[in-house]
Amino acid sequence: MPSPVHSSIDSELPAQLSAAGFEWPGGRGVTDIDLQVRRGETVTLLGPNGAGKSTILKMLSGEIAPQRGGVAIFGSPHGAAARRQIGLVLQEPSTDDLMTVQETLLLHGRLFGLPRVELSRRCDDILSALDIADRAGDRCETLSGGLRRRLDIARALLHDPELLLLDEPTLALDPESSAAIWYSLQRRAAAGVAIVVCSNDTAEAEANADRVVIISDGRVLADDTPQHLTSALKHDALELDWPSPSDHELSTLASWDGVGAIASHDGALHLTVDSSAEIVPLLFQHFGSRISGIRIRESSLRDAWFQIVGLPLDEHPTQQAAARERPEGVQQQ
Amino acid sequence: MIGAAVASLALLERDLRAVARSRSQLYSSVLFPLMLMALLGAGVSSGLAPNSPRIIDGDYTSFLAPGMIAMTALFSSTFSSAGFYRDRESGLLRAMLASPYSARTILFGKALSAILIGSSQAFAVLALAVVIPGIDLAWQFGWLGGAATVVITVLALSFMLSGLSLLLALRVKTMQGFHLVFNLVLFPLFFLSGAFFPLDQVPGWLEVIGYINPLTYAVDLLHYACYAPSPDGLIGPRIDGLVLGGLALIVFALGLSRAPRAV
Repeated sequence: MPSPVHSSIDSELPAQLSAAGFEWPGGRGVTDIDLQVRRGETVTLLGPNGAGKSTILKMLSGEIAPQRGGVAIFGSPHGAAARRQIGLVLQEPSTDDLMTVQETLLLHGRLFGLPRVELSRRCDDILSALDIADRAGDRCETLSGGLRRRLDIARALLHDPELLLLDEPTLALDPESSAAIWYSLQRRAAAGVAIVVCSNDTAEAEANADRVVIISDGRVLADDTPQHLTSALKHDALELDWPSPSDHELSTLASWDGVGAIASHDGALHLTVDSSAEIVPLLFQHFGSRISGIRIRESSLRDAWFQIVGLPLDEHPTQQAAARERPEGVQQQ
Repeated sequence: MIGAAVASLALLERDLRAVARSRSQLYSSVLFPLMLMALLGAGVSSGLAPNSPRIIDGDYTSFLAPGMIAMTALFSSTFSSAGFYRDRESGLLRAMLASPYSARTILFGKALSAILIGSSQAFAVLALAVVIPGIDLAWQFGWLGGAATVVITVLALSFMLSGLSLLLALRVKTMQGFHLVFNLVLFPLFFLSGAFFPLDQVPGWLEVIGYINPLTYAVDLLHYACYAPSPDGLIGPRIDGLVLGGLALIVFALGLSRAPRAV
């Protein structure tokens, strides 16, 4: 359910995209993106790698200009004033190994025109808030991945932006670091900062986002609260190891009371049901010889994604290609 | 305007600190030209006994000195530009370009540090050439005028090279590609700049290439400022200054004008 086209510019909105489109050389890109981000709202752009999330973020940050449609930050087109309002966290940690933590923040503060005394105070505050004050004098090359990420976020928060744009801020982080980062982001959101996060982690989006924008192949397929996206789902989600079910078998399943969305993909059959306790015995009674395994869980945003896009997020072709390309040791949380 | 200057100075300060922490680069950029002067200079002076009137008393070591000053500026400026790639690969450049200042301001700050680092190292080579016994520099217009000319020449050369590096770095995506292009273009240009041999005694076609070569004018001006006892046989400061200064302005402005926001 894509949101309607908003042709009017609202100066109160921290970020607004209207029918925005951008195509990279080679054909990938995004089309007809409508997005409004309000103060204090956390919006997650959810989609597999290559879906177009980062392209949307780049249009919002001003790194690229939409080739079609428009972008507005607090009602104005991109420029120096807009960039002053934005805190940006890139997908990969972006620090210089030879600089210390404090030097990294001081450089950023000076690039944002903060006066020296004010800058020094803010550095101390932000390092304490993100629990890295004890590493202030250490070179970035000595920091762990989680600490580098916190430094990226500290840098993005340093100039007190009204709009935070984060590209997979917790990718490859341990749960403790992720929780620390989300805690600091939620505090900012509570203070009225608008937050846009790119992610392909449905659990994280469900737990932290006020709104989830589902993106696939460069288009917005849904834009709603996690609660609304999941409320239409049946209570339980089943994943059956059932290679190539026939059309007749699928239509039989669909005719049963209490069965919701059904999709077969890559040797597995996914379906949502009102009650697994009622459906599972029926399944084995009718198709027991065809099913070699079953996984049962409560329905979640992951299933909403599956229902809307037609493919499980982790089985999306672009996601699988990215997983194959991901260097050893880099795991998705 | 003041804010942009502060931002450029912040980047300059950061790059200078990075160079100070990378001491091997600092030492090698000064030691290599000195080593070349000592080994190549002594070898050619005694082994080949050059008799060109442009090589005073057949002392090839002293003849090399102005060329080595130019070479230091050349290589230091281009190596400093490699920092552009380091920042691009680390993502730091993207983070910096997200600041309120224009991409030109950011790239100007980075170029400024390349100019300052390249020039400082060239001045260090000049200072060592002055004090090392056996290197005879001639200050035909006094040492103050000569030193000022060297400073202006080296700064103009560094500006030009920094602009060229910027133009290349914005087009060539990898540092390996950057060095390949630079080596392919700059080594031949440097060899044909008059730094290693006077251009007036080479075959005509080489002489023509030499006079098309912008580096020739920098080396000629350096010879004029601190080596040649008289202006005879040199192109002359007016033409040198015009070509070098003009190219420095054009190439540097061109480099900055191509600055994109996304890298």
